[in-house]
Amino acid sequence: MDPDRRGQWLRGVLDLCVLALLRDGESYGYQLAQALDTAGVGPIQGGTLYPVLLRLQRTGLVTAQWREGDSGPARKYYQLTAEGRAALRQGGNAWLAFVAPVTDIVTKGVDG
Amino acid sequence: MNADEWLRVFAAELHQRRVAVDAARHVVAEAATHLREGGGDPWLVFGSPQAYAATIVESIGTAPAPRPGPVRLDARGITKRYGRRTVLRDAALTVRAGQIAAVVGANGCGKSTFLRICAGLISPDAGEVTVSGRLGYCPQQGGTADFLLPDEHFVLVGAGQGLTREPARQAGRAAARQLGWEADRDVPARHLSGGTRQKLNLTMSTLAAPDVLLLDEPYQGFDQGSYVNLWDQLVRLRDEGRAIVVVTHLLNQLDRVDVVLDLTSSAK
Repeated sequence: MDPDRRGQWLRGVLDLCVLALLRDGESYGYQLAQALDTAGVGPIQGGTLYPVLLRLQRTGLVTAQWREGDSGPARKYYQLTAEGRAALRQGGNAWLAFVAPVTDIVTKGVDG
Repeated sequence: MNADEWLRVFAAELHQRRVAVDAARHVVAEAATHLREGGGDPWLVFGSPQAYAATIVESIGTAPAPRPGPVRLDARGITKRYGRRTVLRDAALTVRAGQIAAVVGANGCGKSTFLRICAGLISPDAGEVTVSGRLGYCPQQGGTADFLLPDEHFVLVGAGQGLTREPARQAGRAAARQLGWEADRDVPARHLSGGTRQKLNLTMSTLAAPDVLLLDEPYQGFDQGSYVNLWDQLVRLRDEGRAIVVVTHLLNQLDRVDVVLDLTSSAK
């Protein structure tokens, strides 16, 4: 895929993806990057991910806490706040409302 | 440039852009953790240290610019002679609350003498020092009691401020931690390494929360990490509104300093 285009899309939804991944429990940067890659979004570099996490933290949608993991080094764990949950619901619905018609239009174009 | 160098340059870039000390420390630590877990070239993972620092500033902003407060230390026309030798001639320094001043110059140019005059430990032959507020002084060495434990030092300093034992101990350990030192072991000062004893010395000088803090080359025996911790701590104290004077012969931290007094040319 054209990496520029993928980058542009990501810029618009990476925060929503992160909020969604945190819905069922806390996580840390590297694990989030791996989860996004595994889900098929593709590799997310730290330079893209951490600024998003910092912004979410600053705006109060997530909180963060340094803790020793069960094994391995101390990591910064992120948790969703109530505001984050609300933003996820609202932003997620807005995204779905946006992509559904886009998918529709593009599908017709590709199939046709 | 390996990962450690990249992180070092990145940290310096954040400081230069005036990202708050604690925020910068967390961002650097998180990048280091990421590199350790995922491997990878920091240039590919994060980009150039400069560009990534700029992105971080966009995400979290910078610390409020320091607003220098009232004058805390005003030294004017300081002249000091030892016999026929003039060590200081007409040296002057003004430091306000929320500023760090560095006193620099070659060995033997009178840096320590100037600081001791500011501390009121020796008298100048001419000139005047005015200090407003509480004064803290950290000598190059000494200042610790060989047979006392770190905790006992903290209790001693605390007693001078009317603190009882336990709060004094806690305050001491917390201040020590700011220098990257866990001061919880029962080791008398004489058995501490030179660098650690100096950290004890420094910790004590900050404990009394002085308005003016005078430090005479406070990093003797420090490794690189402790040296960085020290400067982080000084910037933190500055941002709390302390006036700080550091005697140093190392110039590589001058970008984090507000006022420089170079004594090289002042004497003779």
